[in-house]
Amino acid sequence: MSNLWILFPVLVAWLAGVSLLIWSFAEHRALPGKRDGRKAPGGEQRPERTGQKAADILATGALLTAAGSALWAAWSGERSVTLFYLMEDIPICFQVDGIGRWFVSLVTAVWVPVGIYSTLYMRREGEEKRFSGFCLLLYGVLICLDFAGNLVTMYLFYEFMTLTSFPLVLHNGSREAIMAALKYLFYSLCGAYMGLFGIFCLHGFCGDLTFTPGGILSLSVIQGHERFLLAAVMLMLVGFGAKAGMFPLHAWLPTAHPVAPSPASAVLSGVIVKSGVLAVIRVVYYIVGPDFLRGTWVQYTWMALALTTIFMGSLLAFREPVLKKRLAYSTVSNLSYILLGLAVLSPAGFTGALLHAAFHAAAKCGLFLIAGVFLFRYGKTKVGELAGIGRKMPVTLWCYTIFSLSLIGIPPTGGFLSKWYLAQGALEAVPGPWGYGSAAMLLVSALLTAGYLLPVVTKGFFPGESGEEDRDRSLWGKEAGEAAEQRGMAAMLVPLLFLAALALAAGLFPDVLTEYADKIAAQVLG
Amino acid sequence: MHIAVMITVVLLPILGGILIPLLPFRSRREMLWYIEALVLINSILVTTMLLFQPQAAFVLFRFTGNLRVSFHLDGMGRVFAALAAALWPLAILYSFEYMENDPNEKSFFMFYVITYGITLGIAMADNILTMYFFFEMMSLVTLPLIMHTRTREAELASRSYLYYMIGGAAFAFIGMIFILSYGTTSAFVPGGVLDPDKTGGRTDMMLLMYVLCFLGFGVKTAVWPFSGWLPRAGVAPTPVTALLHAVAVVNTGAFATMRVTYYSFGTGLLRGTWAQNVVMALVIFTIVYGCSRALKETHIKRRLAWSTVSNLSYILFGVVLMSPLGLAGALCHMLFHSFMKIGSFFCAGAVMHETGRSYVHELDGMGRKMPIVFGIFTLCGMALMGVPGLAGFVSKWQLARAAADCGSPLAWVGVAALLVSALLTAIYMLTISVRAFFPGKDFDDTALPDAGDPGWKMLMPLVIFAAVILYFGLHSRPIVEFLNKVAAVMPTE
Repeated sequence: MSNLWILFPVLVAWLAGVSLLIWSFAEHRALPGKRDGRKAPGGEQRPERTGQKAADILATGALLTAAGSALWAAWSGERSVTLFYLMEDIPICFQVDGIGRWFVSLVTAVWVPVGIYSTLYMRREGEEKRFSGFCLLLYGVLICLDFAGNLVTMYLFYEFMTLTSFPLVLHNGSREAIMAALKYLFYSLCGAYMGLFGIFCLHGFCGDLTFTPGGILSLSVIQGHERFLLAAVMLMLVGFGAKAGMFPLHAWLPTAHPVAPSPASAVLSGVIVKSGVLAVIRVVYYIVGPDFLRGTWVQYTWMALALTTIFMGSLLAFREPVLKKRLAYSTVSNLSYILLGLAVLSPAGFTGALLHAAFHAAAKCGLFLIAGVFLFRYGKTKVGELAGIGRKMPVTLWCYTIFSLSLIGIPPTGGFLSKWYLAQGALEAVPGPWGYGSAAMLLVSALLTAGYLLPVVTKGFFPGESGEEDRDRSLWGKEAGEAAEQRGMAAMLVPLLFLAALALAAGLFPDVLTEYADKIAAQVLG
Repeated sequence: MHIAVMITVVLLPILGGILIPLLPFRSRREMLWYIEALVLINSILVTTMLLFQPQAAFVLFRFTGNLRVSFHLDGMGRVFAALAAALWPLAILYSFEYMENDPNEKSFFMFYVITYGITLGIAMADNILTMYFFFEMMSLVTLPLIMHTRTREAELASRSYLYYMIGGAAFAFIGMIFILSYGTTSAFVPGGVLDPDKTGGRTDMMLLMYVLCFLGFGVKTAVWPFSGWLPRAGVAPTPVTALLHAVAVVNTGAFATMRVTYYSFGTGLLRGTWAQNVVMALVIFTIVYGCSRALKETHIKRRLAWSTVSNLSYILFGVVLMSPLGLAGALCHMLFHSFMKIGSFFCAGAVMHETGRSYVHELDGMGRKMPIVFGIFTLCGMALMGVPGLAGFVSKWQLARAAADCGSPLAWVGVAALLVSALLTAIYMLTISVRAFFPGKDFDDTALPDAGDPGWKMLMPLVIFAAVILYFGLHSRPIVEFLNKVAAVMPTE
């Protein structure tokens, strides 16, 4: 019974989320037609909606409580709880295991800074209560997803995740945003249904589909159905890969992530896409078992898809002028690093994938938040407009630099470490051209990453010879002058600094993380 | 007493319905009381009957030899009767508010109540003749309901309805004759009644007859190519579209198909033959076809009607898997789909009743005005999509499991069709919800009509349906076990 407490954070998050949503809805009904003033530009104070402060306190308080108890639930021992039976042989159950713990910690580490950041940022977008309401719901859903104890439970929350995250995408209500949200919704559902098809197939062979390290598929049962099952697994990989932006179902990601409000883009790109990765891990390493796939056409197709996505994502990011879109393409590419690491089916690759999931979450989330800062403060969206921004916002740009280095993979940031593991895994486990090819692709993509991320830094700090005071004025308006960023923006800067510190610390003291990831890898591949 | 109750529940609504225009009511209120009491009492009688489970058959009258009209309550019949008994009082309650300004409401209520008795007749029919008899009556009694508004459109719709039904009945009649002449008995027997001595050497002809019979009864289930009548019949008042064209009438088609497949021809004869493949291919095509048409349709009721076409073929898909598991899945989807679809239709009807808007693009921002209605609509939509935790997922799971068990490649195609259709369902249902709740930033709230959620008579059924959808979604074990038991009477080889 006491194991039910692992669901306490979910309860807190959902209660607060639902009450915020109802509150926001009630406001709409009370004030028909009085929704002007929401597009007020950054610095200007728009008329405060009633009780916004109280709502902020409620949202932040609930988030902190939920986050604290989620971490407690994750790190206070292995436990499991069965809620009820959804169908005769399918229980809804949760278990705290190594991989779930990893992802819950990751989600929480990203969510808290974003939550704090958004209290200020969302003044710009309006509808703060609706936003934080859905954010809290989503956080609860993600905890459930990470702790899910069997495939059907995971699928249940996978669907809920899609349904609670798409309102974040359409938040600003423009036609573009709504179309993007629908695109996101339908791609995700399409992927989920492909996954469901696989679940139907596996259910016949595996019984109750409980997650077990190393898989539960026994080779004697499936005698004669191998080809069929391989096809089913491939379908699941593509389906769940949709959420992780894997080619061919990647197209929603660069559309949906940039139009969302920046904190939403940050969590979407930082964490939600990782749920696709988690789903793939659960299917491959906890249900089917890596041995079943090793050396089959599925493994090679999977690797090929991941490699294609890495290259394509980097290249498209390189050509993209809008910062948030560029970051979204970069997510496409980086998520496939992780999938590549999983596809090689070796301990080093697995460790690398876990590490990259964590480092990318921190870095990409930070980058999107910074894009949000630029947008919030100056309304700049294109990379070309950001020349000279380093003078105005040195701290922000320094954070940007750290995140960029981490994504490129330059020591002493975390990204170096994960790429090292990924390359090592690929070279060890898949001899021959596939291994070399993968390692080479990682390098090429790293170069491209440097190419698309660093220009912001160089242009930002060294805008060139015309970086004089009057040009400054024409670019940045009247507020020319040092360090405009500090004024009233602590709520946005502190989360950035926190994430940057995480990204640095991960690179400087990697042992804790690598040891833990190695332990999980040994469990599932041992 | 137990046996006589079977004929009572059939005749009470029929006679009581006929009395509605004849009785001298002093006020509308009095009439409503009479109708609701009639339907409620009948539902209570049905419930008692279901609890006591009379075993014997009740013979109403005989024509000649073994041709007789008789009733018998078995497992499948109980499921269908329970469904009717649960839905009718609620639908009547909803109609009280929906029909309040209609001058012809008396005739509406008359036929509406009569249909209740006929549905129960089909549920309890003991043999194919009885079923056919009530099946025909069903077509005739529901015709005036489609014509109800007396517009040109309604006339055309009812004409096409009539043609489809007569054509279908003709096919079904041919099938029935063959069952009567080649079977050992006219009654329904689990596993079929065909006499191997008589059919020996004529297997292909029997299979052809089965396909004809399937299509004949399938007309009511709107299987392709006979699905055109259903969306057209959407001109009828919403309670008719909701209860009859999403539940009662179309489910009688599905029910009859189950009867002829499992109880007359017998799955032993059919399984693995070309006949099974033909009907399965038709059904799978209908699943996708219905959804695609729903996607194109902008009139909300016609969109839901196309969705019904597709969902009915889910039921038929379970039927044509020709296994006890398939039958259980079909019954399960028949039950759950009824609640999901009647809920969606009632929501659509509530919007039409309160605001007069009936096209999808007119619904922008309406979620702000009618939060409960659109909330429940979204819930029904998600249930139809098959979001886990709601009823639709459970029945889809049962169907997919049965298909996996069947193992033939075509069955797997069927599973894929279920999922494609789920995606299409998501598109045509959720776009409505998104429009209603997130109309976009330039939307002017003041342009919304001054309407709100409807009164309790319309809301209560909706809330009950939502609760049922949630309950069965989360706690499906007892009902699924029961349905498996019902289906387990089939002999397996």
